[in-house]
Parts: sequence; structure tokens; C-alpha cells
Amino acid sequence: MGENTNIIEMHNVGIRYDQGPEILSDIKLGLKKGSFHFLTGKSGAGKTSLLSMMYLAQKPSRGSMSVFGKNINFANRDNLAALRRRIGVVFQDFRLLAHLNAFDNVALPLRVCGMDEREVRKRVTELLNWVELDAHMQDTPDTLSGGEKQRIAIARAVINRPELLLADEPTGNVDNFIAAKLMKLFVELNKLGTTVVIATHSDKLINDFAYPRLHLQNRHLHIIQPAHYSMLREKADA
Amino acid sequence: MPKSLYISRKQELPLKGDSTSLFLQVIISIAVFIFAITLSGVLSVNTMLYNWNRSILGSLTVQIMPVNDTNKEKAAAQTLAHQEKAVEFLQNVDGIIKVTPLTDEQLKQLIQPWLGDGVNLDSLPIPRIIDVKLAPDAEINFVDLAQKLAQTSSQASVDNHKLWLSKLIRFADGLKLIASTVLFLVTIITSGAIFYTTRMSLGLHRNIIEILHIMGAKDTYVAQQYGKRMAFLGFCGGCLGLFFAVPVIFFISSLAVQIEGGIISEASLSFGDWITIFSLPLFSMFIAMLTAYYTVKRTLQKML
Ligand SMILES: Nc1ncnc2c1ncn2[C@@H]1O[C@H](COP(=O)(O)OP(=O)(O)O)[C@@H](O)[C@H]1O
Ligand SMILES: [Mg+2]
Repeated sequence: MGENTNIIEMHNVGIRYDQGPEILSDIKLGLKKGSFHFLTGKSGAGKTSLLSMMYLAQKPSRGSMSVFGKNINFANRDNLAALRRRIGVVFQDFRLLAHLNAFDNVALPLRVCGMDEREVRKRVTELLNWVELDAHMQDTPDTLSGGEKQRIAIARAVINRPELLLADEPTGNVDNFIAAKLMKLFVELNKLGTTVVIATHSDKLINDFAYPRLHLQNRHLHIIQPAHYSMLREKADA
Repeated sequence: MPKSLYISRKQELPLKGDSTSLFLQVIISIAVFIFAITLSGVLSVNTMLYNWNRSILGSLTVQIMPVNDTNKEKAAAQTLAHQEKAVEFLQNVDGIIKVTPLTDEQLKQLIQPWLGDGVNLDSLPIPRIIDVKLAPDAEINFVDLAQKLAQTSSQASVDNHKLWLSKLIRFADGLKLIASTVLFLVTIITSGAIFYTTRMSLGLHRNIIEILHIMGAKDTYVAQQYGKRMAFLGFCGGCLGLFFAVPVIFFISSLAVQIEGGIISEASLSFGDWITIFSLPLFSMFIAMLTAYYTVKRTLQKML
């Protein structure tokens, strides 16, 4: 893939649930390799829906979309699995597996692609050390605090060194100190070449980091460059 | 941190906790129990059929009863005429390669031990005998043959023992067909139970499966976990069913041995038959594994 190719491309994409109204309409988007975006919009604007199309858990109800250059309208189930392995996801509600301990949760993306168990152990131990959870390897999620669960969710998202990292309000449940630390991790990964999209509510985050925003409003997607932030906030307040 | 602490890997899908496990294991053991007993019946009937078939293969004897008439010469001539008709008929039957009516000399020799020397055959109403040679691979319907022979000649009849055996063979063949149907149905019902419990379990663990998919798991990955679990249940259920079936099989065959006449006692199980019966848990293991595997593959195809 060349320098200027888009990791994700959407044309006239719409999504609806069952027979309900369209949640998002006419989405046109080209997500450049190596870019960093915030994804904003009120609660219920469709941030999670947009992300779930990007991590291939949800198919657009109309329009066409390609991921890593592969048109997903023509992808079979194994193609989709192969694409998903290149994407890391942090869910809004973490979605850790309750019966697995921290170690096994983080190891999941490596094991589903059949990695050698010794390599799995090495990588997971390393990463858990790095997020300072090595003492909690054996603990199941229900015994961990919100922040600890979040770090596990993030470790699981990055363990496979994804080319695209999608995070759904990852700083929603943590204090500013941890939020800043997480952001530092995302920025770090971005510098190493990972394309990043972070859905967030936090004005502080948006203001502290001068990244462009994908903003959802009235079912439509607007791309806003950092200089225009204050203007939009005035409009929203009005 | 000691590595051994997290070396034992937990299954991502907590299938061991499925409440249907016990149900399935009971179903599979009952199925294997019925299967083992029915199969042992089929196998021993097979041995019996083989012995019976061998004893009716090769040759056949046809009797021509003497015609009753006060005129002895006329009677003898009529009897011979009946014999000729029977011979002509037999010669045209598929699978019969040689038809030899016994000569007067041969008949005398046959009777001699009972009646002694110097018997005048012409003065006695003795049956005439036709020796029939069958082709080695002949498939002759003896009941049918006997009927047609009787139509050809009112005096002709097929040797009783063989006729009776061939009726028994047809009966045993019928039993075998019924037993095979039972084997087939038991397998289908068990697969059906596995199919539905697997589908239920997939619904139950839908969230986990969705996460596995998002992490990049292929359908095969999920299908393998179900396959492994069901293989285990299939094997354990199979062993349990076999455990209860073997004494029953022994009991039934000991009853059969007690029957006089040697007909049923030929129904014994060979060493190979026992190996087949003892490999049933492997059979139930494979059926369970394959059913679960393909159920998962097909069901997931309908999820994103
Ligand atoms: N699985 C679903 N089934 C039906 N409606 C849904 C589902 N998920 C989200 N929605 C609806 O879609 C809209 C957008 O939701 P969501 O994408 O979660 O927004 P956000 O993440 O920005 O809060 C909401 O109105 C929500 O009720
Ligand atoms: Mg959301």
C-alpha cells in the first residue's frame, strides 16, 4: 500500500438498525494511512455505529466501503477475519471476557490467529508490564477497577500491533491523569505508523491535541480541521 | 512471576458451563447403549446368516413322490414322467448348473441300508430323487423355486430342511433391515440433539463469539472449540453407554446359547465384532464432533 492510500474509504454509506430510520446518511470518508482523528458528536449521534462499521462488526445498509483497499461488499467471511486482524478496537464498555483473567483477555487477538503459545506469553507479559498490570495477570475483570479494566481493553487492542486503532470513548471513565497517559500511548502508536480514530466527548482532549475531527451531526459527517474548533462550539451552544 | 501460574490456558468459550452438557451426555450414552445392543444383534445374525447360507449353498435335493395306482407299471411310468418334467424345469432355472436324476441302481444303494438286499424296487412305492448342483454364486429364492416346482409337477418337492432354512434367512434379513433402521435413526436423533444444543449454545455465547470475530477469529476457530467439547462429550457418553450395554449383550447371548437345536447358538460374536462394538465411543465421538463443527460453521455463516 502506498503512502497516500486510504485505510478506510466510504462512499454514500448509510446505516440503520432493522427497519428503523437511518442513523447515519451519505457518509463520505477517506481515512489516510498514518492519520489521527477524533470522532465527536452528541451522545446518540452515531459514533459507535460509525466505528463498528470500521471494525467490520456492522455492514453498511447502503453505499460502498473499503478497508485496507478491499471492498467489503465483495469480501467473504475469511477475508473479513483477515482484515479484522489488522484492526485494534477499544470498546466503549470494554467488552472483556468475564471468565478469562487479564492475561487470557489480552492474549485473545494473538491466539485467534494461531500464534505460538511461547510467543504469546512473551508478548502479553511484556505489554502487561508496560501498562503496569503485571500484578493482576491472574485476576478476572470483575475484581478489577474501571481504570484497570480499561488498560486491559487497550492492551488487548494494541497487542497485535494493529495498523488501525479504533477507540470508543477510551477516556470516558478515567481521571485526567490516566486519560493523559492513554493519549500519550495513542500518540506514540500513531508516530510508529498506526492510523488512529478516537471517539470522545472530552473538550479538554480535543483542545489539548490539535488533531482533525470527524464530527457527526444530523446523521451527517463533517470533517473539521483544528483551527475551526471554537467556531463550531459556538454554533453548538447557540 | 512463575510462568506455570498462567500456563494452563482457559477456553475462550466457557462451553463446560453449558447446562446442556449433562443432557447431551445422557442422550449420547442412551443412544450408544441402544446402538451397541442393536449392533451386536446385527453382527451375530450376520454370523448366523453366513453359516446358514453356506449350508444351503452348492446343492439341492428334489423328491418325486411315487404316483399311486393299482397298475404298478402305469404308476411307475407316471412317476418317471413327473421326474422328467421336474428335470426339464430345473434345467432351465438360472443358477442351476447340473440336474442328475438318480438311477435305479443309485436309489437301491441309498435304500439298501434300511431295507437290505434283494429288494425289488418296482414293487415298492419309493420316491425318486434328483440331485441338483448349484452355481457357487447362485442366488436362488428357494421358496419361489419350491412353488414353481410344485406347479410343474404335483409330485415334486424341494428338500424340507433347506426350504425351512431359506425362510429363516429371509426372516433374519428382515430383522437385519429393521435393526439397521434403528441404528440409522438413533444416529440421526443423536445428531439432531447435538445440532440443537449447539445452536442454543451459540446463541447463549453470542457476545463472546462476536468479540472473537472482531479480534479476527475465523469461523473455524469457534467451530473447533465446539468440535473439541462435543468430541469429549461424545466419547464420555459413548463409554458410559457401552459400560451398561456390554453386560446386557453378554446376558442375551448366554440366553441364546441355552436354546437347544443349535440354530441360535450359531449367533455368536467374533473377536472382530467385539472390536467394532468397543469402538462405538470413538464413533459417537466423531459423530458429535463433526455435527457440532458443521453446525457452528453453518450457523455462523448467517451472522456478520
Ligand atoms: N444495536 C442497535 N439497535 C438499534 N438501535 C441502535 C443500536 N445501536 C445504536 N442504536 C441507535 O443508533 C443511534 C446511534 O447510536 P450510537 O452509534 O451508539 O451513538 P453514540 O455512540 O454516538 O452515542 C442511537 O439512536 C441508538 O439508539
Ligand atoms: Mg457510543
